[in-house]
Amino acid sequence: MKISYKHLVSRIDEKPNIEELSNKLFQLGHEHEINGNVFDMELTPNRGDCLSVNGLLRDLNLFYSINNNLEIYKKELNEFNFNFVNHAKKDCPKISFLKIEIDSIPEKYNQEMESYFYDLNVKKNNFFTDISNYISYETGQPTHCYDMSEISEGVTLDYLKTKQNFNTLLDNKIELKAGVLAFINNKNEVINLAGIMGGSSTSCKKDTKSVLIECAYFNAEAIIGKSIQYALTSDAAHRFERGVDPNCHENILRRFLKIVEECTKINSIGVYTESYSEYKNNIVEFCEKKINKILGTNLSKKDCIIHLQNLGFKINESQIKIPSYRHDISSINDIAEEIARAIGYNNIDQKNLDLFSLEDKKINQNSSEFNLKNLLIDNGFSEIINNPFTSINNENSIEVDNPLDINRRFLRTDLKNSLLDNLLFNERRQKDSIKLFEISDIYSKSPTQKKRCIGIIISGRVDKNYKDFSKKLDINYLSNLINENILNIPNLNYETISRSSINSKSKNKIIYLEIEFSETFHCRYISNSKHVNKIDTTYKPISNFPSSIRDLSFSVKEFSNFKPLQDYMLNFNDEFLKDSYIFDYFFNEKNDEIKIGFRLVFQSIDSTITEDQVNKIIDIIITDTKKLSGISIPGLN
Amino acid sequence: MSTHKDIIPPVASKTKGSLHPINQIKSYIMDSLSNIGFEIIEGPEIETEEYNFDMLNIKKSHPARQMHDTFYVNKKSNVLRTHTSPVQIRGMLNKKPPFAFISGGKVYRKDDDATHLPMFHQIEGIYVHKNVSFANLKDLIYKIVYMLFGENTEIRFRPSYFPFTEPSAEVDILSENGKWLEILGCGIVNPIVLNNCKIDSNIYSGLAFGLGVERIAMLKYGVNDIRDFYKSNLDFLKQF
Repeated sequence: MKISYKHLVSRIDEKPNIEELSNKLFQLGHEHEINGNVFDMELTPNRGDCLSVNGLLRDLNLFYSINNNLEIYKKELNEFNFNFVNHAKKDCPKISFLKIEIDSIPEKYNQEMESYFYDLNVKKNNFFTDISNYISYETGQPTHCYDMSEISEGVTLDYLKTKQNFNTLLDNKIELKAGVLAFINNKNEVINLAGIMGGSSTSCKKDTKSVLIECAYFNAEAIIGKSIQYALTSDAAHRFERGVDPNCHENILRRFLKIVEECTKINSIGVYTESYSEYKNNIVEFCEKKINKILGTNLSKKDCIIHLQNLGFKINESQIKIPSYRHDISSINDIAEEIARAIGYNNIDQKNLDLFSLEDKKINQNSSEFNLKNLLIDNGFSEIINNPFTSINNENSIEVDNPLDINRRFLRTDLKNSLLDNLLFNERRQKDSIKLFEISDIYSKSPTQKKRCIGIIISGRVDKNYKDFSKKLDINYLSNLINENILNIPNLNYETISRSSINSKSKNKIIYLEIEFSETFHCRYISNSKHVNKIDTTYKPISNFPSSIRDLSFSVKEFSNFKPLQDYMLNFNDEFLKDSYIFDYFFNEKNDEIKIGFRLVFQSIDSTITEDQVNKIIDIIITDTKKLSGISIPGLN
Repeated sequence: MSTHKDIIPPVASKTKGSLHPINQIKSYIMDSLSNIGFEIIEGPEIETEEYNFDMLNIKKSHPARQMHDTFYVNKKSNVLRTHTSPVQIRGMLNKKPPFAFISGGKVYRKDDDATHLPMFHQIEGIYVHKNVSFANLKDLIYKIVYMLFGENTEIRFRPSYFPFTEPSAEVDILSENGKWLEILGCGIVNPIVLNNCKIDSNIYSGLAFGLGVERIAMLKYGVNDIRDFYKSNLDFLKQF
């Protein structure tokens, strides 16, 4: 919701600047951004009363002298006969209709209205609808304008007995379900989706001079969810869902009339009101000791009373009378929050909290799960987290009633397919040594059962160092790693996943293992490394472009230069060089010669790396390494 | 002149693996809170509406309960928990005060964009004792923020709204570029929630807080798109 700084400050005697006002709004809990001279408010859903200039000023009254005396139409209002039937008195306990006929459509509006449309860049519509929109902005109360000539026969408020088509005033054609609350004309046609949006058949036009203004109170429960259900963007629904003031109707209609009067000549006025229950203000017992206990403060009773009075609360003996617009206040904790907002959350001194006075707490760390994780991390495995939604349905799958993606509407019953997707994703990105694991709870139905599992999947090279570079990950690798450390699970099921079933031509085997963390599960591995959670790593953006691999093999005959060669190659730095490692090493005693091979992986962050770019770097490396005596690149002159 | 006897073969170093960055942040926070006295408790991801909403004072008409915000399963008989708060409810029903619990884990909401995912991680904590106040809550929040972002971090408390706490607050930290960044929500446990859990709110009061692990991870690591955490890209994961 957008509120102009100018409209707020024009009614504040102290005239704070926009930054000061912004700070006060934040102190009150009214989050916003400032765009030029406009506050773009993001109010919490419990503060429907603040969705207007008047609403924010009521809160700002804590800090400033506010002018609350908006001019209203003060003459007597005569009742008129209107054929209105209300079959929804519980959801609409109070409703008023105001009939106005004007002499002519004004060319220009009063200053406040013109300023509203200009400052907030709001598009004008027609005279009465424009006033209705302005009144909503100024006071928070939605009103709806019908062209009087279209509804002179009267209206009924009722729940639809059957589904019905409805054309909104924005020309959306929707089919309303049975049970929806709507205003209906004497032909049994829907003319207004109650509290949400009027219809095109009765809406005001540019030349409408006779109008019926509807000003109603709807219970939030009757409105919630309807605008989303019918994909309608409705300012009125937004307000009714958050609660409006049930006690404001006469004042709102008089304010409406005043604005009409300031813009044009009024020929006739009539008002019709139905109220089915008398509003009773909420009462909360006043107790400053409880307030101080909740907040941890030491405020005087007098201070509390002043803050509450500034917010419009009436204090009578030991009772607090809650204003009719404050639906969010019903307990002493709510009152404490009001006091805290008034003094500022940031101005409440902290008090030491010592939890050690409680009995000793044990860390609920599953040590076997912890040990297994360490075993995998020490051996180059990366942990994955997947969401549980899958297309695979088996007899034990739980189905999501309202999935985000209808094709993935089941909860997985194992981790295999998620991890297989992860593995293939990385293979497509030229990864040639893939070791992944995931630990997750898994749910199945009849009745809902939970088990905690680890899934492990591998494919490709064992590692990228020269000892493991040529070895391939297979069942032996995984079973040697796991069987040696896991006890009490006799029949681990190491599965080789068929490449043909996933349309993959790679010859690398895919091995999968899933283990349930049962009560008997035990992993005895104790890591020699200290695993510290890295929370201060700065992430470097990754490339989505293909990498380019070059291998450089050296013959070393001058052994004193063997170490400098390694240092040079492994520490060589270039923006395109992503990785370098020794993938081959052999000492030929017979020839007194070392053969060492380095693999260099190049990648650009923002484009596909070119042969030229790689060659330039390789040329630098060759030139530099040539300077080391006794070192050559076989095949290169 | 070096001879072959002097040759030291290159080190065949093993590539280290890594825990998922979200789990690293989660474990760091959980371990730190555990060290100051919170007990770690766990609960199911498939929850009843009673524990996920009703007991937490989230009324039937609350927008969060609509089908467009919450995943329902088993013909609407259960929900995928939308927060870790139902774990606190289970904890409160099982233990008598005083107690201090934390729970962390996966939660689900019907969102999917650059800043929201249908599955993400939360950590929530609750402390119930006699005379727990908002001033105590502030002390705890300062400890948590300092633990995560350092003791020079500037902190702002803002009034907010959660059905299960009253008063409620959101906490911002001041970033290097001068912008306030929201990092967690907290408040004094609503007496209605205590009473729902058969805890006498005339005797006991509580504080509670909750934070999104992904949000903290994005701030700590400088990751701008939340979806990067869940692409399983080894170039990404190996950085942590």
